[in-house]
Amino acid sequence: MDSFTTVQEQSEALRAGAVSSTELIKTALARAEAYAPLGIFTALRADRALEEARAADVRHGRGEPRSPLDGIPIALKDNLIQEGEPCYCASRILEGFVAPYPGTAAHRLVDAGAIVIGRTNMDEFAMGSSCEHSAFGPVRNPWDPSRTPGGSSGGSAAAVAAGIVPLAIGSDTGGSIRQPASFCGVTGLKPTYGRISRYGLVAFASSLDQIGPLAHDARDCALALEVLAGRDPRDSTSLPHPVPRYRETLDGDPAGLVVGLPRECFEAEGLDAEVLARVQEGVAELEKAGVVVREVSLPHTRYAVATYYLIAPAEASSNLARFDGARYGQRATATSLGEMYRRTRSEGFGTEVKRRILLGTYVLSAGYYDAYYRKAMQVRTLLRRDFEQAFGACDAILLPTAPEVAFRLGERSADPLRMYLSDIFTVSANLAGVPALSVPCGFARGLPVGLQLMGPVLDEVAPLRLADAFQRRTDFHRRRPPEPA
Amino acid sequence: MSHVADYEMVVGLEVHVHLATRSKLFSPAPVHYGGPPNHFVHPIDLGLPGVLPVLNGRVVELALRAALVTHCVVHARSIFARKNYFYPDLPKGYQISQFEDPLATEGWMEIEVEGDSGVAIKRIGITRIHIEEDAGKSIHDSAIAGGGSHVDLNRAGVPLLEIVSEPDLRSPGEAGAYLRKLRQLLRYLGVTGGDLEKGQFRCDANVSLRPRGQSELGTRTELKNLNSFRFVEAAIAAEAERQAGVLDAGGGVSQATMHFDAERGTTRVMRLKEDSDDYRYFPDPDLIPLQIAPEQIEAVRQGLPELPEVRQARFEVEYGLPRSDAVLLSGTRELADFFEAALRGYGGSEGAKPLANWLSRDVRETLAEVDVELDASALEPAAFGRLVRMVVEGRVTAANARPLLTEMVRAGGDPEALVREHDLEAVSDRGFLEETADAVISDHPDMVQQVRAGEDKVLNFLMGQIMKRTQGKANPAAAREVLVKKIRG
Repeated sequence: MDSFTTVQEQSEALRAGAVSSTELIKTALARAEAYAPLGIFTALRADRALEEARAADVRHGRGEPRSPLDGIPIALKDNLIQEGEPCYCASRILEGFVAPYPGTAAHRLVDAGAIVIGRTNMDEFAMGSSCEHSAFGPVRNPWDPSRTPGGSSGGSAAAVAAGIVPLAIGSDTGGSIRQPASFCGVTGLKPTYGRISRYGLVAFASSLDQIGPLAHDARDCALALEVLAGRDPRDSTSLPHPVPRYRETLDGDPAGLVVGLPRECFEAEGLDAEVLARVQEGVAELEKAGVVVREVSLPHTRYAVATYYLIAPAEASSNLARFDGARYGQRATATSLGEMYRRTRSEGFGTEVKRRILLGTYVLSAGYYDAYYRKAMQVRTLLRRDFEQAFGACDAILLPTAPEVAFRLGERSADPLRMYLSDIFTVSANLAGVPALSVPCGFARGLPVGLQLMGPVLDEVAPLRLADAFQRRTDFHRRRPPEPA
Repeated sequence: MSHVADYEMVVGLEVHVHLATRSKLFSPAPVHYGGPPNHFVHPIDLGLPGVLPVLNGRVVELALRAALVTHCVVHARSIFARKNYFYPDLPKGYQISQFEDPLATEGWMEIEVEGDSGVAIKRIGITRIHIEEDAGKSIHDSAIAGGGSHVDLNRAGVPLLEIVSEPDLRSPGEAGAYLRKLRQLLRYLGVTGGDLEKGQFRCDANVSLRPRGQSELGTRTELKNLNSFRFVEAAIAAEAERQAGVLDAGGGVSQATMHFDAERGTTRVMRLKEDSDDYRYFPDPDLIPLQIAPEQIEAVRQGLPELPEVRQARFEVEYGLPRSDAVLLSGTRELADFFEAALRGYGGSEGAKPLANWLSRDVRETLAEVDVELDASALEPAAFGRLVRMVVEGRVTAANARPLLTEMVRAGGDPEALVREHDLEAVSDRGFLEETADAVISDHPDMVQQVRAGEDKVLNFLMGQIMKRTQGKANPAAAREVLVKKIRG
């Protein structure tokens, strides 16, 4: 069976008995092996995956699959806890850590019968936009191995783009699902904050983090969301609202939906002209399908990156304090407690993580808190109001996912500020808590370009419907990168 | 020698109280004292990657009771914040507490203080009450295998209430009175076990001096982790003495955390405040604001039990008990409840005084002998009430009732059945008592003469002889009446 098929196609083939889960898992593992030089995985679980596939085949044989995901190979980002599996967050400091408890997202997927073949590489603790900040070495883009897949969920995006798995799970704190989806030519969804439980997601910035799916198309993202979303008593910030049957809303007819184009984003400095052109062609495609396009304004988005880089590091500095060598992971040898902490954290964390811990510690310090953290939280409120106002006039907001296509590895690692600007179009959705997804909308210089769709809080339906309608009319999401040599 | 008396002592107290919940503040792990180290922990308490805290609703209920009984303003919205610092017994690298927006503020509690004109009532302000989690315990003991330092996280995440008083206390005695009253109230309400040895009720004291008449506060020092009320009083007195010495010598008090050396009865600087940490408090994004509806406050208020001073007053008025008995019986909720249940078993408010006598002496002694707490003993209050009634009615003698009480404390049981079983029914039969009295009189003619001469003490000896002959079963009142009549005519 063609490994580039979607979850839905694989699921139908399994149901029809045209393929077995064991075959799907073997193919996935073989492709993971073939793509090994791209650094996509931090760990594979071949034996256990095959064992689970045999059990899934028995269920399919009895005609009792647990869900459309039963027997389907998937991949988890290395910051998602799966009981009994290692979880390193691509950091040396967690080397040797095996999760002794079930994380909600992985648990729900496994309960639905999905088979995790491995853990995907990422920027250490999800801090980065290029997957270069990993203790396992960088991830390479399947479209051009000299380039980044984006980050921090670059391994998950690459795993789907390379046709290894039809579904990979990532996390998005400031664009970490959508930007890699854009760079790798796949579809990635960051749901509403609180829509998917964070219990079992190793926290980077708790008020911004959200788990989400990366897949070939919007329909598969909708399917995954149905499994992942919903109230979890273990996460106080998870939302109690009922979970719609997202797939049933995907009727392919977006006529009458109103899409807002935020003028600030289309005029942004540093936006690649070809990227802009592809996004505008995408807008034209939707208009042909009957979508109404109008201009909207998000005046505070120009403060979004600055606001994000105060709030996210502040929370991170506190969230990462638990990695101290006292209880798990790596501990440096030392003769005093202070030295143990210093050496463990100095040796265990990479440069970017240290940079953000320092930044966050600074902005929370007495005398700076009001000027930085409190102010940033106020701007965040203004930004949220921008979105509320804009959604008064449209069903979804459309903008580029990233200002550029995948850049070359090493090109930005020496310039953190320039790296942070890759997040310019994505961080607002996290700050406002609204759902946002990225769909492939064409190519620039041979590399995938992503178009971003945002919806109001708890309305994943509008962006998913638009994305699905767009994908019924285009085939960018079906294009494939070159096979490995 | 310094002159403490030249200064006014100003004391404020911070009390940390373990809330009496079954599970921890943010995890389902049980709260357990004295278990093997690190056995009562959940991944949340260990600060494992990916875990999240979930607030224990019972904590809010207990915290509200404490806030209401101290007349605090309960805030409709309070915020959990992170207090960031590194220590091995703090698994997450931060403690979840409340900082800018605490649960409750601006309360008060009244204490009794010794004034120039006897006992007076003084109102002590409560600045704030907030909820936070306890840390684990660091154990530095080379005797443990491997030596060095060890961490026990059984206590990590146990719910705490921090209760901060205004600097309204003016002496070690007032501080002691405040703490005893607060502990009694919170135990009454079931808010805390209040066991000091288990660390369920801990106290820090802020102490400063100022010249009498000055309204501006002096520089204060903080006494940490004082684990008995006696220590608190001694430490405050010692620290005031030290500060007076510094001030008398023309020096200034430095803001510092002090350690109290209980053996020497002196305080010394543990660390100066200049070295104090910046805890980088910020609202915990993993927890939503704690919202408390007026109806919830009202429901907790309705569910509050009768408070000790109210109950004491009622015991005096309703049962005609002397104040000392009423104070004793209302001292803990368990004892007060037991007393009232026993009174129902007795079947009449005239039993209050004999029950009070039995509870204050015989029951207490028996519990001590058997080595059991009242609420853990097998003694049924109603059965106890019936036993005392049998004694009052002369159906069993006090002397014979005592071993029955011991038996009931150990194994429970019905007093009527026990009296029958042991054949201890007191004898009031006139003919039998007269026969016995005649025998005693003829055995002790000298004694009888002395009684006739007016020596009543000797009568007790003769009563003892009657009891001896009847194996303690003679109804003492009836026997005495018969004896006196026979001797004095």
